[in-house]
Amino acid sequence: MAATSPGERHGLGIRARLAIVVVVLVALTATVLGIGASAFVDASLRDRLRADALQQADYDLGVLIPTALPDGIDPTSLTASGLLETFRLRGDVKTIVDFGDGDPVVSSFDLVGLLASLPPELRPIVDRGEIGYAWTSVAGHSALVLAGRPAAGGPAFFFVHDASDIDRALAQLRIALLVGSLLLIGVALATARAVARGILRPIDAAGRAAARIADGQLDARVPTTSRDEFGTWAAEFNRMADTLEATIERLRSAESRNRRFVADVAHELRTPLTALVAEASLLRGELGALPPDARRAGELLVADVARLRSLVDDLMEVSRFDANAEQVTTEPVDLGRRLGALVAARLPAAQLTLPDQPVVIETDPRRLDRIVGNLLDNARLHAPGAPVTVSLAQSSGAVTVTVADRGPGAGPADADLERLFERFAKADPARPGGSGLGLAIAREHAELLGGSLRAAADPGGGLRFELRLPVTESLPAGDGPVMGGRHGQPRSEPAGSPPR
Amino acid sequence: MDARILLVEDDPSIREITALGLRGAGFSVATAADGPEGLARFRADRPDLVLLDVMLPGLDGLEVAREIRRESTVPIVMLTARGDTLDIVVGLEAGADDYVRKPFELPELVARVRAALRRGRGGPGDAEHLRLGPLVIDAGARTVARDGAVIPLTRTEFDLLVELARRPGQVFTREVLLERIWGYDFLGDSRLVDVAVGRLRAKVESEPASPTLIVTIRGVGYRAGG
Repeated sequence: MAATSPGERHGLGIRARLAIVVVVLVALTATVLGIGASAFVDASLRDRLRADALQQADYDLGVLIPTALPDGIDPTSLTASGLLETFRLRGDVKTIVDFGDGDPVVSSFDLVGLLASLPPELRPIVDRGEIGYAWTSVAGHSALVLAGRPAAGGPAFFFVHDASDIDRALAQLRIALLVGSLLLIGVALATARAVARGILRPIDAAGRAAARIADGQLDARVPTTSRDEFGTWAAEFNRMADTLEATIERLRSAESRNRRFVADVAHELRTPLTALVAEASLLRGELGALPPDARRAGELLVADVARLRSLVDDLMEVSRFDANAEQVTTEPVDLGRRLGALVAARLPAAQLTLPDQPVVIETDPRRLDRIVGNLLDNARLHAPGAPVTVSLAQSSGAVTVTVADRGPGAGPADADLERLFERFAKADPARPGGSGLGLAIAREHAELLGGSLRAAADPGGGLRFELRLPVTESLPAGDGPVMGGRHGQPRSEPAGSPPR
Repeated sequence: MDARILLVEDDPSIREITALGLRGAGFSVATAADGPEGLARFRADRPDLVLLDVMLPGLDGLEVAREIRRESTVPIVMLTARGDTLDIVVGLEAGADDYVRKPFELPELVARVRAALRRGRGGPGDAEHLRLGPLVIDAGARTVARDGAVIPLTRTEFDLLVELARRPGQVFTREVLLERIWGYDFLGDSRLVDVAVGRLRAKVESEPASPTLIVTIRGVGYRAGG
């Protein structure tokens, strides 16, 4: 099982949530501060400009203009006085002089039409003899307009001050604030990540350790570096893992002791069994020469030796499976021919049905013999005398060998059918014969061949066993039919073993 | 038939009943209880066939088989534990001609022994001379020569070579070879053929890794090339 990545969780992870909260808070704070700062700076800059402009207008209207034009003001004298040029040179102030005749004198052409756009409240203030002001824009730039009349009366003077410096200053301030905010958000994100990692590190470590334990690495543990709640928790986790590991180790060693015992027993039985089988085979030919009682005993002895032999054979086979000592050697096998020969050898009474075309698959013929042989033996033992049919069918990707009998069956439930494949399982405990291992062995072989073996209750009564084997592509022509077993090394056909 | 058989088996019961069965079938039997003794008896008696237990004290059966093969082409039949598949292949590669799995019934063992002895008794066309590539085969004298040099073959290897060389180009399935050379009607172990072919190639092919005289027909069997 792979460790889950954050993307596999439902919803957002802790890291993302923490990052979002921090970023939102920082962005909100930065926005409020920025708006406040730029409003304050804006107001104070405008105040200063207005105060300066007012002071100047006061002086111009009260002192400068009456002094320069003591005899009254008309457009001609005004132009001749050079006053407007003086204002411009002094502080980049443009001037409009309104004589009330609809044809104001302007010091710069971009001021034409400005009078009409000024707020109407300005005019009464000027008419009262006071100085009024208004914020407007000239040719796209902010401007401050101060309006008033000279103390001695005359036309209304409109002084137009350029305020684009304020705009520029404010724009710069906003850029600075934006950059500062972004930096702040970046720092906040990094901090949030660092904090989250710090908090989550023990959890991640525990997750990895748990995943490794699930993968079978029972010695995986969580590092217990901190002395906080996580440290305590990690210690508890490790204690649990210790217990788990010890228990599993104990079970494993008990199981392997058991298996070794079975293997040893089967092995130790083999030598006397070999002698017994040979002796019984000799005795069998001489039974006719014995007195009747002894002959019957001799017959039973011969039969029981055969039973013992099949039991020990099967036990050894099972113990080899348990030791994972099996290897699979495949070659192309003509299933129809193989089945025909098997049926002829093991249960000639069975009816064999084969497809018209030969079915050749890559498999291990010795294991196939064991599987089908055990199925035939099973049918012979548990459905004695009943008709048995063996059939072969090919579908895409698999072949199915079916062995069906008309015997008593296994029982009504699926569990009964599965129990057939348990070791020492017998459908009918009272029925003699068989080691009780044959079907379990057949299934192990089927799985080694990459196939499956299932039992089904035949609708017409009796049992049906279905062996499904995968149809694998044949290897390219040449030497070496090889398929690795569970632990077996691939064995290749000898191309030429060295002479020994 | 009065063939002399050497039986090397460590278990006294098995040794005694096996010897009894073989004698009952008309063979004369000498016995040995371990590897070194078996080898000594072999050198002293020069039997017609050796029955060899794989698990032997002292010198194991595989070693004994290799020793015997160094000095003789006598048929060797191994007695092996059922299902020790690696033992079987290693035993065949060590030079055994056939094997019988323990436990065995005596008639089965006798049949294997007879089949092994039958090999090398010649067949039809005793005075036959065959050629396979650079090999000159004298079926009557049971010799194979390559460039004038005689190649020592066991009887199984020789029979296998003759069987294939008689019909060059014809493909022999493993089953057919098992029947004709080893005398199995069915359920013979095809590894017998594969290992024997391997051993034969090692002796007669100029380059055993890429054989030209005995060619594998994948999924079918073998045929003589050349």
